[in-house]
Amino acid sequence: MTASTINTRDDLIDYLHVAIALEHATIPPYLTALYSIHPATNSDAAHVIRVVVVEEMLHLTLAANVLNAIGGSPDLTRPGFVPSYPARLPDGEDDFYVDLRPFSPEAVETFLNIERPGAAPSGRSRLVPTPDGGRPFLVSSPTVEGMHFYSIGEFYEEIIEGLEKVAAADPGLFSGDPARQVGPEYFYSGGGAAIPVVDLDSARRALRFIAEQGEGLDSGIYDDDGELAHYYRFRQLKLGRYYQAGDHPDSPSGPPLSVAWDEVFRVKVSAKLADYPPGSELEAAALDFNADYEAFLALLTQAFNGQPGLLLDAVPYMFRLRDAFNRLVRNPLPGSGGHHAAPTFEVPTVAGSGPEASQAASDTAQAVGR
Amino acid sequence: MSTEPFDEFLRLSAELTAFEETDLLGTGLAHQYLAKVRAACGDDVVVALLDAYRAARADAEDDGGRRDPILLDRALRHRIFSDDRLGPVARNVVKLWFAGMWYGLPPEWTDRYGAHSAAETSTVTSASYQEGLLWRAIAANPPGAKAPGYGSWAEPPRIEQRYLKGAGK
Repeated sequence: MTASTINTRDDLIDYLHVAIALEHATIPPYLTALYSIHPATNSDAAHVIRVVVVEEMLHLTLAANVLNAIGGSPDLTRPGFVPSYPARLPDGEDDFYVDLRPFSPEAVETFLNIERPGAAPSGRSRLVPTPDGGRPFLVSSPTVEGMHFYSIGEFYEEIIEGLEKVAAADPGLFSGDPARQVGPEYFYSGGGAAIPVVDLDSARRALRFIAEQGEGLDSGIYDDDGELAHYYRFRQLKLGRYYQAGDHPDSPSGPPLSVAWDEVFRVKVSAKLADYPPGSELEAAALDFNADYEAFLALLTQAFNGQPGLLLDAVPYMFRLRDAFNRLVRNPLPGSGGHHAAPTFEVPTVAGSGPEASQAASDTAQAVGR
Repeated sequence: MSTEPFDEFLRLSAELTAFEETDLLGTGLAHQYLAKVRAACGDDVVVALLDAYRAARADAEDDGGRRDPILLDRALRHRIFSDDRLGPVARNVVKLWFAGMWYGLPPEWTDRYGAHSAAETSTVTSASYQEGLLWRAIAANPPGAKAPGYGSWAEPPRIEQRYLKGAGK
């Protein structure tokens, strides 16, 4: 076994900032696929994706709760918080890229990769050296340069072990203000509830919940509450059939699930503002979306910094973003060879820093923010 | 200048509704609406409407090709809205975008210009109600659709600045 990469509260805070950014990073790809679906078609697929994306919002909230519990300050506005797509995630020793794609077999394959169970083989390190070049990994270790995690599951295991270790040495670890916690009164919908984090036990439950709702328990495809893990939810789309209790992972036996791959707006994959005609109405609409999304992330940051009641305002905000998202994807993107427009999620909207610069800036902001 | 009838219809619709083309395409219904006008009034009326719009644009352009919005407004009123045949159709196009419905034209119109299918009131698709521009114009959600989020009704409507009285465009 390698030594822990988490030795102090500050290390934990760094890790939890990465966790919040990681949970958020899954949301734009899921939303792009969801809103690319033609209205009133593909209701099975739309429902599957919608359930998962709402649960990713819960995961983000839970990670923020853990960070708040140990005295950190969630910040969704830092440069680099929203990755530049395609974003890079690990798949064991290998890696893959997450694009903003229309609903398609490729998109489902990406989603399966995101949610795939991935325990490192016993005796192997959960940390893997990051090859030079390419984009930064979303699950890089914030404390050991040049290393990333074997899988998202291993990343969360590292945090849980780190919490246990630091809590054992520092009885005051969970000194965060309980009023900053987001409880079930502020987060409704989907499977699972917002767990207020006040001690090691609740922190462990929150983080295990994140990992297990995504990948499934070792014991099966359903959790204790009868919730199907995300990986298996998406597998239904690939296999064209729903799971039911007692199924083997390879052979769902529930009702058939129909997918109409053609009933989709072919949005340009990982579109950038540079793909939009300069000075056009459509470019202005794409810019407006990014500005609104940036303001929305600022609202969430306030909510996670002592004003959880603001999450109730965030709900109508999300619906407004949904409507703007839908308007964009219905617009053809001129000069793209017949593709449609889609939000670019280039946030912060102030230009002038590439992905590398953003990453460096976010690390600095993180250190200063404490 | 030769452009596709669809593009012309879209540009005319932007003039008639005061919504941008991006917003009109954002309904996902622009093609269906043009098809609806054709089905109701016949292709001749659509061709005449778009011709009149082209002529109105030409009226409002100076030698350098710049368009004066006041002149265009005047030319649209003169060439389209004051026209016995095209005026009611253009008003119906406005209603089509705002309400998602084709409102039957009066018998006086159909008696004179034929196209009896134009007399029937009907919806375009099940999506056209919820995509009606009227909901955006008043910043409300279409009741029963596009859920706006719990408690949003307690907030003032968020009407875009350019649609507020006196704000200008």
